[in-house]
Amino acid sequence: MATLQLKNLTKRFGKKVVAVKGINLEVHDGEYLVLLGPSGCGKTTTLRMIAGLEEATDGEIILDGVDITDLPPRKRDISMVFQSYAVWPHMTVYENIAFALKLKKLSRSEIDRTVREVAGMTKIGDYLDRYPTQLSGGQRQRVAVARAIAVKPKLFLMDEPLSNLDAKLRVATRTELKAIHNKTHATTVFVTHDQSEAMSIADRIVIMKDGEIMQIGTPEEVYNESASIFVADFIGTPPTNFIDVQVVAAGGTLHLVNPHLKLPLSPENAARLKGQEQRNLILGIRPENLTLTGETEANLSAPCLVAEPQGSHQVVSIELDDKLLKIIAPARPAVHSGEMVHLKFKQESLRFFDPQTGQRI
Amino acid sequence: MNKKTRRNIHRAAKRTTFYIFVTGVVIAMLLPIYFVVSLSFLSTREAYRYPLPLLPELKIHYKMTHGERGYLLSVYDQIDKEYQTVMDTQDLDKMSVYMKSQLGAPMSVSEIQQQIARLDTEDPIYFTRRKNLLYNYQTFFQVAGTGQAVPALIRSLEICAMTIVISLFIGGMAGYAFARYYFKGRNALKFSVLFVRMFPGVAIAMPMVIILVNMGFYDQPIGLSLVYSVGSIALTIWITASIFMGIPISLEEAAQVFGATKIQTFIRITLPLALPGLAACAMYAFLGAWNETVAAIILTQFNPTFSVVVYQTVLGAVGQVNLAAAGGIVMALPAVLFTFFIRRYIHQMWGGVTV
Ligand SMILES: Nc1ncnc2c1ncn2[C@@H]1O[C@H](COP(=O)(O)OP(=O)(O)OP(=O)(O)O)[C@@H](O)[C@H]1O
Ligand SMILES: [Mg+2]
Repeated sequence: MATLQLKNLTKRFGKKVVAVKGINLEVHDGEYLVLLGPSGCGKTTTLRMIAGLEEATDGEIILDGVDITDLPPRKRDISMVFQSYAVWPHMTVYENIAFALKLKKLSRSEIDRTVREVAGMTKIGDYLDRYPTQLSGGQRQRVAVARAIAVKPKLFLMDEPLSNLDAKLRVATRTELKAIHNKTHATTVFVTHDQSEAMSIADRIVIMKDGEIMQIGTPEEVYNESASIFVADFIGTPPTNFIDVQVVAAGGTLHLVNPHLKLPLSPENAARLKGQEQRNLILGIRPENLTLTGETEANLSAPCLVAEPQGSHQVVSIELDDKLLKIIAPARPAVHSGEMVHLKFKQESLRFFDPQTGQRI
Repeated sequence: MNKKTRRNIHRAAKRTTFYIFVTGVVIAMLLPIYFVVSLSFLSTREAYRYPLPLLPELKIHYKMTHGERGYLLSVYDQIDKEYQTVMDTQDLDKMSVYMKSQLGAPMSVSEIQQQIARLDTEDPIYFTRRKNLLYNYQTFFQVAGTGQAVPALIRSLEICAMTIVISLFIGGMAGYAFARYYFKGRNALKFSVLFVRMFPGVAIAMPMVIILVNMGFYDQPIGLSLVYSVGSIALTIWITASIFMGIPISLEEAAQVFGATKIQTFIRITLPLALPGLAACAMYAFLGAWNETVAAIILTQFNPTFSVVVYQTVLGAVGQVNLAAAGGIVMALPAVLFTFFIRRYIHQMWGGVTV
């Protein structure tokens, strides 16, 4: 177990591509940290630099106080689960798991004990004599995990280890990965571009975009207190609704105004936007914070475009200025398309963003 | 006739046609091989008879009687079902040699004399001798290159081994570089290694002789294996490059993360995964070096390779096709054995699927 620090870590490919732009990050002891971001944002590159598979252009990687930036991968005391699993096809499951232990020159009995222990933990004990090609994708993924935990590394790296599994297995496996982590308490950096995966397993989430860190926080923080439009949009399904509004003072309080909407603000929100009268900003509100009410209390009324029943709830969409606004409503009463829906905004859940910078106000 | 039976008939007809076709192809491939093998066991007399016997005889039935000039020797012909006169002579040495070299069922002079002694009591006399089936092979090794056959065989194997080592070592490393590293002009370079294969060996024979003489390798096994390596390196590069490209780089990276050095990674991960391709390369290198004759004739003088010896014997064995056939079989045998041996590795699989 260990702590990991990234200081101003940078990676350039050639002259033009800057895949990682000087990121600073601290991973606490025993923490399950998830790097989350859209495709091409530099997650894999960051992970590969930590693993030593990619040379850092600039910056430092410090593991347990030791600068490992220039060490070869084998001297870093880390292990990794690859996206393609990278289990060696010419070795049996047993040999795959034992490979690193043999290189460490452990005794035979010790190797055997460890292999059986981790195989039990990952539920592949019955397949130890098989070759990887004789296993299903999910089983192969477990072999990759077993191989990684067998070496008891200081740091665990996982690059989208679940992306090759089908949807159902992915959800089941991520729970198991978390359960294994709860047993081993190994410091882990986990890469994914799937926000729901990140939300469900992370202790903290690092949201990246274009090689930069946009926000670091617990799943609740990045969900409820998104630092920017990008984060608020990226996290959550359906994502946050954004509405262009202007701040207008009227009747002793502030209102958010737009051709379809005149929303009086609660005292707390008004205090936050004090002195910003006439300013244009972007209002963000999550679909579950828009509630259906009666016509008289409504902040906004519009005809329902589509309603998608989900069993436990329904997603109602309305159109506002050519943009879809999504509402998560209870399953009953069912809303039908064309029907007028009346919406109320939960005051404590309103988030304000600067239209220029995209940052939270 | 309902629909189902019609479909069954259709299917049966299709399958039958397919098997007839396959059988035809197999026969067309095996027939020449069969004839060469069978020919190599025939005696000279059998080999030049018409129609050609399908199988060698195992025994020769002799009949002897008094002839006009001495003793009249006849042998039983299995095809015509009658005794046919082969010689009439008094010279028993000549008869013994004839029995050995033409009929393949040798008798010494004293043995013949013993039989002749029986002529006093009965006439004609009959006797049977086992045929020496391997006569052609024995002759080949005695006659070929005037006793050069065995040393030439060893020399050829040496050359093949060296060719395999050189071309796998250099070609394999180059193939790995082509597969794993990007550098300027990579594709042009990769294409240009095929250039050497575009020239027939004869065309560049003189320069090769001069170069080898200057290196002191003329008429030496190492010289020939260098020449053969040039060709097989090109092929090895192409085969191994595609094999190495097919090995995901993440397999190597995983090994490094899990504690292996670059060398260990190569030996324990890359090499075993590339084994089928390397085996195929070894086979090509072996076959190329083993069967090559033209360059070997030009580049050797007193130390010919086995292919040269066979070639000379075949040329010199006018009127002895059976001997030439035996030479051909001896030539082919190591190549066949090696191919069967290496086949195991080419078909190497891990749990059912190749990499
Ligand atoms: N070897 C390379 N040479 C040049 N550019 C590269 C190289 N590897 C990655 N990049 C670029 O660096 C950027 C970040 O790539 P990276 O693989 O880290 O993205 P990622 O966040 O892992 O994306 P994904 O979710 O699709 O895996 C991309 O724009 C990519 O094109
Ligand atoms: Mg990636």
